Amino acid sequence: MSTGPVSPPPDVEPDAATLEKGVAADGLTWRRLHPVTPLVRGWAVIAVVLFILAQRSAEALPSGGAVLPTDNVWLIVAGIVGVGLVGGVYAWLAWLMTRYAYDAEAVHVHSGILFRKQRKVRLDRLQAIDVVKPLLARFFGLAELKLEVAGGPGSNVKLGFLRDAEAAALRNTLLARAAGVEESADGSVAVEAPERPVLDVPPGRLIGSLLLSGATIVLVLIVVGSSVAAVVTRSGAPFVAVFPALLGLGPFVASRFTGEFGFTGAISPDGIRLRRGLLETRSQTIPPGRVQAIRLRQGLLWRRFGWWRVDVNVAGYGVEADGNQTNTVLLPVGTRDDALRALWLVLPDLGVENPVELLDAALVGSGGDAGFTSSPRSARWVDPLAWRRNGFFVMGRGLLIRRGRLVRTVEVVPHERTQSLALAQGPLQRKFGVASFVMHSTAGPVAPKVPHLAGADAASLLRAQSARARYARQHAGPERWMQTVVALPDDSRTDEAFADQPFPDEPFPDEPRLDEPRLDESLPEAFHDEPLPGTGHEGAR
Amino acid sequence: MTDLPADPAPTTSPFDPEGVTWQRVSLRLATARLVLAGIWLGVPLVVAAVLAIVLEQTWLWIVAAGFLVLLLWTAFVVGRQVRAIGYAERDDDLLIRKGVLFRTLVVVPYGRMQLVDVTAGPLARKLDIASVQLHTASPGTDATIEGLVPSEAARLRDRLASRGEARLAGL
Repeated sequence: MSTGPVSPPPDVEPDAATLEKGVAADGLTWRRLHPVTPLVRGWAVIAVVLFILAQRSAEALPSGGAVLPTDNVWLIVAGIVGVGLVGGVYAWLAWLMTRYAYDAEAVHVHSGILFRKQRKVRLDRLQAIDVVKPLLARFFGLAELKLEVAGGPGSNVKLGFLRDAEAAALRNTLLARAAGVEESADGSVAVEAPERPVLDVPPGRLIGSLLLSGATIVLVLIVVGSSVAAVVTRSGAPFVAVFPALLGLGPFVASRFTGEFGFTGAISPDGIRLRRGLLETRSQTIPPGRVQAIRLRQGLLWRRFGWWRVDVNVAGYGVEADGNQTNTVLLPVGTRDDALRALWLVLPDLGVENPVELLDAALVGSGGDAGFTSSPRSARWVDPLAWRRNGFFVMGRGLLIRRGRLVRTVEVVPHERTQSLALAQGPLQRKFGVASFVMHSTAGPVAPKVPHLAGADAASLLRAQSARARYARQHAGPERWMQTVVALPDDSRTDEAFADQPFPDEPFPDEPRLDEPRLDESLPEAFHDEPLPGTGHEGAR
Repeated sequence: MTDLPADPAPTTSPFDPEGVTWQRVSLRLATARLVLAGIWLGVPLVVAAVLAIVLEQTWLWIVAAGFLVLLLWTAFVVGRQVRAIGYAERDDDLLIRKGVLFRTLVVVPYGRMQLVDVTAGPLARKLDIASVQLHTASPGTDATIEGLVPSEAARLRDRLASRGEARLAGL
């Protein structure tokens, strides 16, 4: 599909250095990244060299030595300059060889000096777009664009670094094209879709939540325990023994704090917009329908304050190697209202008649409240603590799962996002006639599961749920979400928004709502006329 | 299409959905597993026994006995394990059932399938069996059928692949 040259965003003139002369034979306008990129990328190397130098000087100073060993100072300087030169040339070549272009269908990236790589990402497969600004890049006013697709580890595309405005404009353009919004004839590029903030986390609450988190409790226990041990044994050995544990926990808490500082969440026709970060800032856009599963969780110590944390599975984000997942957070910590609002961002319509009552039963309830199916009484031998709370409720749009007595957990999986299902039963479970129902979602923090259901309940849930998933899949909206629908309610409050939705007697409406276009497909301007969610969040009572 | 199946009558076990005919896998899989167990448990058993005799250490006999018990246990359960494996192709999904003590039943919709693997190691090739694995976008999906006759594995692969294509949706 030939779209001709793509004009740059009207308000952003690309640097002369970043725009290659002319248009290539393939009809694409190839661009380069910002020239400062190698410097920002290589800052770690520079920092390490400076750190080593500083450390050596610091060691030398107290003993009256010179800042640098005087005899071979030139050798050291020459070595540093040499390494710097080689690294600099390499980085410059890498920058030179990296080019990107985009058309209506895909983003193309060519890179590599010796081993060349050409990557093409289809825009309709886009799962999320992140704009990341590391600390140093912020000084230069640069940002990196990360395009997430569901191709497994290392499948994302990083375009970095670009100038702030350029990155924002590119994100808007790509999102508009991924959404299937047709561009107007003059080739002007989509402007940023309007957004309405709905979530934020005050710093005080974030600090409080971290102080009351499991990691902090472990930390305190370790320190107290080792102090007692040190007093008893009159030696410093216990401290030495627990030091590695402290080294592990400290960064965990610190990265939570810096990663989730200043968190805000907003809704726009592009999807969910999340912004956060203290040093490195990240703004994420998760288009509608890209959330595979959502989890609301409340630790024991958070219960007093009524705080909840909301995590989601998004196919592109996957699981990070260090296990300290921060890019799948929909709400680091928030009140019950906030948590329900986060749920509403993902599923504006739960497809139930009594959402207030139902969500209340899901968050804090137990047993058969509000129509939940929970574990049978025989499950008390396998799960004495939480057997009353384990349960599920089938909503029109997804499966609502409730479990956990100490750590309260609520999980929702939209029917059309179900990957595969399973039943599992151990010998003890068989003895008491219960089985666990497991849902497989994409890689991420949420692993939905209903433990210890009565055998017959589990079997009929498995059977009905596969039928529901199949039906929902067949009637799901398209990958290009703007082509049919913007699922924004015209007047929204969290619980009330849920409450207004009529629920058919059938598990599914005969005519699926998602198939009905509600929006003029051709006009990007329609974005702006679409009423946005109101701000009057009365929330749950 | 909108009709969901009515609640099934309570069955004896949730692992026996009604109206499903289970296909069995080749019993040669039991042989394969026994050979593997023989290598991984039998060799250390012999080594421990020889060392116990040579070094005249009593505790090495305990180690050897441990391996022997594991080996006998494996020989005892492996046949039942293999007979417990079953799969069934339904119109829209594939069912896989396995396990004697810890039982699992997996339902993989064809429309959710991303790729199908057929693998056969040297031992499996010798025994003329192969395994078929289905992958969805979820790493949690454990849908492997071991011990298939190669022709059946190939048939299943092509069948699953064509069904997946016909029903392919986004994620």
